[in-house]
Amino acid sequence: MGTRRTWAHLKGDRAGLVGLLIVLFFLGVAATVWLGWLGQGWSEASGGRWLTPNADHWFGTNLLGQDIFARSVYSVRTAFEIGLVVALVSTALGAGIGALAGWYADSWIDGSVMWLKGVLDAIPFYLFVAAIAYALQGQWWAMHLAMIATFWTTTARLVRAEAMKLRSHDYVRAAQAMGLTDMRIIWRHVLPNTVHILLVQATIAFVAAIKTEVILSFLGIGVQDGVSWGLMLAESTQEVLAGHFANFIAASAMLFLLVLGFNLLSDAMQDALDPRGGGA
Amino acid sequence: MSRRGGVSLLWIGLAMAAAMWMTACSDSSQDDPVGDQRLVYRHALDGAPRSLDPAQASNVYAKILAVNLYDTLYRYKYLARPYQLTPNLAEGMPQVSADGLIYTIRIKPGALFIDDPSFPGGKGRAVAASDFVYSIKRHFDPETRAQGAWLWQERIVGLDQWQKDGADYDQEVPGLRALDDRTLQIQLISPFPQLAHTLAQGFSAVVPREAVEHYGREFAINPVGSGPYRLERFNSSGAVLEKNERFRQHPLSLEAEGYDPASQARLGLNALDGRVPPFMDRIEVPFIAEDAARWNAFIAGEVDFIKAPVTQFDRILASRNPPTLSEELSQRYNLAANLESGFVHTDFNMDDPAIGYHPDPDQASRNKALRCAIVNAFDWDQRNEVFYYGIGRAFSGIIPPTAPEFDAAQSRLAPQRDIAGARKLLREAGWNPRNTPVLEYGFPSSVTERQMFEQFRSFMADIGYPPDKVRPLTFATYGDYARAYLNREVMLTTTGWTMDYPDAENTMQLFYGANASPGSNSANYVNPEFDRLYRASATMPPSPMRTSIYRSMNRIVMEDCATISGISRTLILLWNRELAMLPDRSFVGGFFFRFVAPGVGESSLRGESSD
Repeated sequence: MGTRRTWAHLKGDRAGLVGLLIVLFFLGVAATVWLGWLGQGWSEASGGRWLTPNADHWFGTNLLGQDIFARSVYSVRTAFEIGLVVALVSTALGAGIGALAGWYADSWIDGSVMWLKGVLDAIPFYLFVAAIAYALQGQWWAMHLAMIATFWTTTARLVRAEAMKLRSHDYVRAAQAMGLTDMRIIWRHVLPNTVHILLVQATIAFVAAIKTEVILSFLGIGVQDGVSWGLMLAESTQEVLAGHFANFIAASAMLFLLVLGFNLLSDAMQDALDPRGGGA
Repeated sequence: MSRRGGVSLLWIGLAMAAAMWMTACSDSSQDDPVGDQRLVYRHALDGAPRSLDPAQASNVYAKILAVNLYDTLYRYKYLARPYQLTPNLAEGMPQVSADGLIYTIRIKPGALFIDDPSFPGGKGRAVAASDFVYSIKRHFDPETRAQGAWLWQERIVGLDQWQKDGADYDQEVPGLRALDDRTLQIQLISPFPQLAHTLAQGFSAVVPREAVEHYGREFAINPVGSGPYRLERFNSSGAVLEKNERFRQHPLSLEAEGYDPASQARLGLNALDGRVPPFMDRIEVPFIAEDAARWNAFIAGEVDFIKAPVTQFDRILASRNPPTLSEELSQRYNLAANLESGFVHTDFNMDDPAIGYHPDPDQASRNKALRCAIVNAFDWDQRNEVFYYGIGRAFSGIIPPTAPEFDAAQSRLAPQRDIAGARKLLREAGWNPRNTPVLEYGFPSSVTERQMFEQFRSFMADIGYPPDKVRPLTFATYGDYARAYLNREVMLTTTGWTMDYPDAENTMQLFYGANASPGSNSANYVNPEFDRLYRASATMPPSPMRTSIYRSMNRIVMEDCATISGISRTLILLWNRELAMLPDRSFVGGFFFRFVAPGVGESSLRGESSD
């Protein structure tokens, strides 16, 4: 897989570039929040109730007089934290399990993995995630665990198929002939050749995690201490009845932009990294 | 974006459910040959009862329906404020022995249960004193899964023992006897001046044994009572009540109900004096929990009454103090500002050594300073303004304004915030941002509760309490939350208490040591002097001396800074101007249904709209 060729393919995809720019923009915003430059006053009730946008409060204020801009911006950090953790862990888990299942295809390991995957996939996604988050409510990691528990399956399925294919390649057989252990071959020769799958899957998991977090937080079983777009949208359900839309517009617009950016980027990456598409 | 769609779908779903329910009502009316001649009152409730069995009438919605389907011995006067007890099924107020231990109550003649298959021949029989004995016993029968036993626990001679002996209904309870068909006698273990109030609760409603045994568990949805209405239909979206034509004939006396012409003339009640309730033929009670759906149903004329959602107060109210209706709405509706018979308060868990009692006297003293600083930092004006539209009544203490013993002088309205005083207390006790404990503020997960927490955190930030040391402790449901604070696992517990009867004893018991968790004392507050005064006042009838004791107890709790208290919310009740009525969500509660009557221009009440 040539990195240069992939980048060249990506550069030629305008939609993908727009997606990349959007994601980089939000990453920059998240970094400023992490560095303490923006959004630090998200919990302060510094203004009057339901102020319209003004010089002090760019997006206006909510019921408590909290600055909606600060809350929206701080929510970017929340989104990236959850997205990163869930994407990294679920992709890594899916890669490991999928590689094992693929390498030992038709063995009891593969059978167990496929059975577990089948069981998890048979449960409606949001119902399953909400049930885990509900059962473990009060733990900050409940939501993360709920998402990781379901997101790894797709990655595992794709990696398993790739591993089964790679198993018959000459260089893998050569490694076997040289006496390398199965684990070493999987680690050194199989997993590195699934990176194109993992990158795309991580991007998809990232955006799915953000969307799921918003839904869980909206339902009151997501973010417990902090602020997120989901919590802002939940607040807005009461505010729109009184004719105040700032919370709703700010949270949904930022969520829309970030999801759009990730979707464009993941589509472009999929094309660029697809061995059949000439990108890699 | 997707959430917006979800919420819209929810509203559409609710609207469709309401429309289907209304349509169902309409259909049934069309089947009724006299449907368009009948008077219908449509009362929207913001929640649903879990059961119609009086023994399980623990929420406000169940109580509202229970007292219309069943009879209680007493009720509260329709129009008198402050609230006053008056006989309902009882012939008069109880005759009490000189030692305050024996209550003798006669019941009115002519009270009949509705016709029902559970009675021989399907014909409802006369209500007897023995039915009351049976109904109270049911609360002590584990089979009933009753929720009102606490009203009479360790109060009536032999009743607790009857439960321990296996709850055999044929076994007599010495302190609970029917002397004859119309005479009931209750013998108390010790004086209990609030007994008559407990006999005005939905829990004390009279049920016939035949029906309970006939329906078994299904009795919860097949009420058989002697109240002014009988049940026509009940499901998750609403209830329909039909006038009980056999209800006793007892004319309304406005004077006896506490009518005040000066303030109540506008209600159009004059014409009702001397007429026999119930006045409406049919009462429809849709359960509409969603604020927007409830409001829209009201504005569209689909219901005659609602408890107005706070989100609409801007549109509804022309002024806040006193709350008055906007010009636009006053053409069509009447308004009543109903101060709740209870209060909201945030208790410190005194059992938690980080904030409450501590074996080391110095630390205990520092903890008290910390609690008092938090109390001083709490901004009741802001809490009232943001969450109660500024029309709640904040007060210092644990005796709410609706209690007769409320002392406006001591319990100053809108307790003043004292940031400088709070900071001073912290400084003098050696507290600083580094050594202050982490405050865990518990609440069941909901938008409003979370916003209240965030507001609390901002109040604490104003006295220098680090925001990262004020943390939410969230629970998926109110049940989980209640379980946690009853297990003493929550440092700061915010709860609302609705008084069962207008007597401050009902709030004093919230801080009585013997009632500590899992009892009603969720602060786990124990003060020997407070407990001594509580025991001394518990058997005293209402008197200036008892009031003085209550106020001393109030002072003790506040000086110990065991609670951040409190505020009584003002409910805005709106109803169709074509109805002559005074609704109430406090002690009168559902008892007012029987007095709802058509007023001027009653056309819309005659079998139209939903019916």
